Amino acid sequence: MSAASPVARRNPFARAMLYAVLAGFAVIYLMPLYVMLVTSFKPLTEIHQGNMLALPDAWTFAPWREAWGSACIGLECSGVHGYFFNSIKIVVPAVLISGLLGAFNGYVLTKWRFRGHKIVFGLILFSCFIPFQIILLPMARVLGILHIANSTTGLVLVHVVYGIGFTTLFFRNFYASFPDELVRAAKLDGAGFFTIFFRILLPSSIPIIVVTIIWQFTNVWNDFLFGVSFTSGDSAPITVALNNLVNSSTGVKAYNVNMAAAMVAAVPTLVVYILAGKYFLRGLMSGSVKG
Amino acid sequence: MSFLHIHNIHKRFGETHVLKGIDIAIEKGDFLVLVGPSGCGKSTLLNMIAGLDDISEGELRLDGERINDLHPSRRDIAMVFQSYALYPSMTVAGNIGFGLEMRKVPKAERRAAVQRAAELLQIENLLDRKPGQLSGGQRQRVAMGRALVREPQLFLFDEPLSNLDAKLRVDMRTEIKQLHQRLGTTIVYVTHDQIEAMTLATRIAVMRGGELQQLGTPQAVYDDPNNLFVAGFMGSPSMNLVTARIERLGGELVARLTAGSDEVVLPVVRDRAALEAWCDREVIVGLRPEAITDPSSANRQDGVIHEAELAVDLVEPTGADLYVVTQLGGRSINARMRPGSTLEPGQRARFAFDVSRMVAFEPDSEHRIRNPETVAPSEPAVVTSIS
Repeated sequence: MSAASPVARRNPFARAMLYAVLAGFAVIYLMPLYVMLVTSFKPLTEIHQGNMLALPDAWTFAPWREAWGSACIGLECSGVHGYFFNSIKIVVPAVLISGLLGAFNGYVLTKWRFRGHKIVFGLILFSCFIPFQIILLPMARVLGILHIANSTTGLVLVHVVYGIGFTTLFFRNFYASFPDELVRAAKLDGAGFFTIFFRILLPSSIPIIVVTIIWQFTNVWNDFLFGVSFTSGDSAPITVALNNLVNSSTGVKAYNVNMAAAMVAAVPTLVVYILAGKYFLRGLMSGSVKG
Repeated sequence: MSFLHIHNIHKRFGETHVLKGIDIAIEKGDFLVLVGPSGCGKSTLLNMIAGLDDISEGELRLDGERINDLHPSRRDIAMVFQSYALYPSMTVAGNIGFGLEMRKVPKAERRAAVQRAAELLQIENLLDRKPGQLSGGQRQRVAMGRALVREPQLFLFDEPLSNLDAKLRVDMRTEIKQLHQRLGTTIVYVTHDQIEAMTLATRIAVMRGGELQQLGTPQAVYDDPNNLFVAGFMGSPSMNLVTARIERLGGELVARLTAGSDEVVLPVVRDRAALEAWCDREVIVGLRPEAITDPSSANRQDGVIHEAELAVDLVEPTGADLYVVTQLGGRSINARMRPGSTLEPGQRARFAFDVSRMVAFEPDSEHRIRNPETVAPSEPAVVTSIS
């Protein structure tokens, strides 16, 4: 970037080329989304005419209504909305709990160091590198023992356990560069362990909180493997339901309904990015120490 | 019993011995400056007083009470940090009032206290701002306000001015001194800047390598240094330290110094009894630049002036003074002369040495060679009674 921008600024042709290439990549990247969207608004008859890229002649919301409320998943014909709320029930507590635990871990590992803190951090970090497939069987056993198998609560536990490694990593690295003098000043001012965390560190952690939320939300929401392994029927998350919807064919493939359901499944992560993204670049630490 | 008593304090980090038995005692209202090069342990000592570092060995007493194991917040101490350490998410008022809030001071009382501190530091108009919107000097004031508002028994300053630009640093230095005079608080202040130490302190503790080199009033440390390190560290431009040979010349004890191809013989006036033992041996003598002048501006009233003619190597005007560099004892030395002298490099000029201010050091141990019970001659009774 640093090498290209001065060239582009001097030369309008180079600048035009740069934008053309970027626009080209954007088109390629957005093409599937476009196809999904237009297909979801077409009646089946139009889809069968075969032109995927054409805009609908007759716009219809029927596929969205059907996907949400009446499409058949297995034998149940009530759409994906129940599974959508299952996913919400999983993702919200999973993100909050793993985020808070990660923040605490990061706080302790950087500001209340104890003997062996590096080893502990290394072990927590290790969990980031364990492939999902390895823990499927032991986790199924644990969920069985705890009597939370085949429930959204069980999936919350799985995602919290799996997420702590990443959230700890994020917060530890963020707090490592958080000035120790602020913590010392707060100690002298009479603030205790939790007060320092909630009043001094956490309000300055918006950027890393946003990163953690985006990361955890997308991972948990998009998870399919844990969902399909540890739940069935009514407690499945939307990713599993989407798969079942597409596979429950009643003769003709209802592409428009499938696309609409897929969009429903994708919207929450998009919303999180759009809402949270603007906090990314804010320098909230400015002014606390020498600038 | 002194107000703050640091008694034989040690600090060890694993194998490294950072502080090797520090003994300092100051009275209420004293302004103690811990000064020394980086790594001398002065900040560690300050953190131990604050309670942010554990004391490995020794005892710390504040107003008679042992505070070794007291939590930082219970020591009745406030600290101003080098980086200011303002809480970024709180307003200036929130920052200043945080300590009171933690001590459960009622809101109205807190607001009044914050207001008082802000008025004292002239930052009332900044109370609603966030630290990020303040300049360096303003942040410095807020950091001081946060310490002042609690009205603690002891203030700790950890290099508070080192992040400010030169001009602002001098202004803030003056303000800190005024604040100390107005409030009469006891302060321990850490700096590596010996000018800050000289201007602010009522007591200076010079430290090096985890050991206390000298504790005394600024004037005593300046005029009557304990060893070569203190002599060289305090003062700018620093003391001229050159090798000399102590000899007896016609019944008089003298110091013989080479001066280029020539020689200068200076009579020994100070610490004569102790220097008798060094007759016909080499010592290191120290003379401040202001003790080597042009004959017309020599202090003949209080000093003992001895003149000599030497070659001028270099002339450095600073406006207020004229520093003249010449060769003495095999080294370049600085003499402070009256500005406007028409000296040119290469020329020979008469230099006036105030030998009453000459101090001598053992070349190996670098200790001062000093008469057993001398009173520093630069602290005459007259001066003390005036102040």
